[in-house]
Amino acid sequence: MPLDLSKYLGLFVSEAGEHLAQLGAELVRLEGAGREGVAVGELVDGLFRHAHSVKGMAASMELDGIAALAHRAEDLVDPFRRRRLAPDADSVDVLLAAVDGLSALVARAGRGEKADADPALLVRVEAAAARARGESQRPASLPAMRGEGDETRVHDPLPHRGRGQGEGAAPALHRVEVEVEVAGACPVPSVRGFLVVKKLARLGTLARTAPAEEDLRAGRLPGRRLALTLETAEPLSEVERALSQISDLSRVEVHEAAEVAPSAPPAAGTPPAPAVPAPAAAEDADRTVRVRVALLDSFLDAVGELILATSRLREIGRALPQEHRPALDEGVDRLHATVKDLRDKVMAVRLTPLSLLTERLPRSARDLARRLGKQVEVEVCGAEIEIDRALLDDLADPLTHLLRNAVDHGLESPPDRLRAGKSATGRVLVTARRERDRVLLELADDGRGMDPARLRAAAVARGALAAAAAERLTDGEALQLACLPGVSTAHEVTELSGRGVGLDAVKRSVEAVGGALEIDSALGRGTRFLLRLPLTVAVQPVLLVRVAGEVLALPIAKVHGAAEVALAALETSGGAPVLAYDGALVPVHDLGALLGFGGARPAPCSVVVADAEGGQVGFAVDALLGQQEAVLKPLARPFDRVPGLSAVTVLASGRPVFVLDVARLTAA
Amino acid sequence: MAKRVLIVDDAIFMRNMIKDIFAGGGFEIAGEAANGLEAVERYRELRPDLTTMDIVMPFKSGIEATREIVKSDSKALIVMCSALGQESLVMEAIEAGASDFIVKPFKAEDVLSVVKKVLGDA
Repeated sequence: MPLDLSKYLGLFVSEAGEHLAQLGAELVRLEGAGREGVAVGELVDGLFRHAHSVKGMAASMELDGIAALAHRAEDLVDPFRRRRLAPDADSVDVLLAAVDGLSALVARAGRGEKADADPALLVRVEAAAARARGESQRPASLPAMRGEGDETRVHDPLPHRGRGQGEGAAPALHRVEVEVEVAGACPVPSVRGFLVVKKLARLGTLARTAPAEEDLRAGRLPGRRLALTLETAEPLSEVERALSQISDLSRVEVHEAAEVAPSAPPAAGTPPAPAVPAPAAAEDADRTVRVRVALLDSFLDAVGELILATSRLREIGRALPQEHRPALDEGVDRLHATVKDLRDKVMAVRLTPLSLLTERLPRSARDLARRLGKQVEVEVCGAEIEIDRALLDDLADPLTHLLRNAVDHGLESPPDRLRAGKSATGRVLVTARRERDRVLLELADDGRGMDPARLRAAAVARGALAAAAAERLTDGEALQLACLPGVSTAHEVTELSGRGVGLDAVKRSVEAVGGALEIDSALGRGTRFLLRLPLTVAVQPVLLVRVAGEVLALPIAKVHGAAEVALAALETSGGAPVLAYDGALVPVHDLGALLGFGGARPAPCSVVVADAEGGQVGFAVDALLGQQEAVLKPLARPFDRVPGLSAVTVLASGRPVFVLDVARLTAA
Repeated sequence: MAKRVLIVDDAIFMRNMIKDIFAGGGFEIAGEAANGLEAVERYRELRPDLTTMDIVMPFKSGIEATREIVKSDSKALIVMCSALGQESLVMEAIEAGASDFIVKPFKAEDVLSVVKKVLGDA
């Protein structure tokens, strides 16, 4: 029955990937633990287990390249595991390189490629393992294996006499000679031999084993042959039966030797002990199943379709004669409620802990800091907080970027820090917490902080802002200038983290998922980035408008209100029309002109007032069509490159509608 | 009647693979466990005819789980799923009462033949 391995590939890739991610994370944690003198034994065990699991899985998938590299990594961890020591920084480097190599191989395996491990990497890991083993020769190391030396006894002919004597008529003991040969196909003949020894020992007493048990333990079984003498009260057939249950024996010979005097009772191995209750396991409380991400996404799509179909039904109902409407409306209402409930459940299923994201942070901070000659410690709190997994994917890059920024630009070098009266090791604290329907994700460093004056100057120098306007900004507002394209606060531009394009991109990504980025900084004390994120993004209420015959959607979250005016009647400021709205003058743009649709807006037309990058902005449209819940879908190429568009949704009528990126519409 | 098997492995992927092997061999999958703690619980509750046991697992190793299971049921049949390089661990498991072992990577027919022997069916 040949196994079709390909059907396990998806699971293999996902599980091996998780093991590798954890291996990487634990390596970094271990380094820190070593510094703080925390007990490292369990952590090192964890490393070994992860490497080991990957090896086993890969071997089963016949992915020999991965198995070989994982095996070397395991070899490298092993000496440290035995000594209950954290690996040194060099070994961690090598192990991290191995993790990276393994991750790449696993990814390739996911694409159906069977690649060999990089020979140079194999050699590097092997050399490190040899070095680690060399160090393990030092005295205080733990006994490597039980049973060495002191147990090498030649079995005396009748050992363990006297146990259980006086228990009445014990059955007569007889001696059985056993000879077995382990099949050539067995990869571990000595273990097979050991199994034979132990199985027979359960039937009585072994008077002789050749080779000795200790040889078997050490992997020695010359000629794959094992000879034993068993003293037992069991009949010969029982011995034969026991041996017949052992696989991989190419030859088995059993024959009677001589009778021995009755003595020990039939020793059936260790006497059954009273059952000890196992520690109560709580895992029944929340059992989990694994679901493919694609399936989760398809659930969401299906729910989206249901929402749309419900709206469509409602719309059709409006055309029905009055007498039929109440019954239909009631049905549609119930359907609507059920679909909403279903949507909430699907959303809940999609929630994924932030740890998936934050786990990689300590590792990347460490790598970067090591290259920069800095020291950093990353602490993550609240990683158990959950967020929609689509958001999680979108946040990976921005968060990594913020972290790199913190390490590269925020944290000072150890000497600078000491001079400033700080500890040599910089700290980055990543905290997540829930606040109503939002998740607040904060990344704070204790580095040099950002200088509002320099940000003002940089913004003015880039022509992003007039000098006078820059002066009017409060320090808090000036900090937000860091998010303008091209405004960099770094003294020297490093290859590692951005050239001032970083924060700009971060802000955009965070806003694209419906979040907001806030910056707070104290010169000399550090910087804090706060990401306010929605729990879910996929369904948002939108305002539908019509412009030049096109229907467009604006996210309600960005819309302040609307007014009905004649464009020509508006006051102008600097040639552009402005609308008096809520006590302020709001510049009004013709949405048709902005998008290049052309056509004149009717008079009066509707003006939608929304939040844009530089404050409130009015968009003149032909008509407001109404509000609805929209299932937002990401834009496909080439629309994802069009500034001013953020997503697409499908109306109840089946018509696709672009969702506008209000914040950047006027900048486009 | 089909023999009932309990499958213990911390990797879902391995469990699925082993499950398929047993299902293809006419066995009934009595249950699964993802670590040693769970294995002991499941064993008590399900009393399978045979258990396949991974060795290196979180919370409680397969060796510990085997020791506990055999302690409470001396007739328990437990086959260790091992990998090359785990010889000493397998020997420890055998001492703890394991009935036999298979070595990864394994072929379906090898697994079934080991298991049938352990069960005394072959």
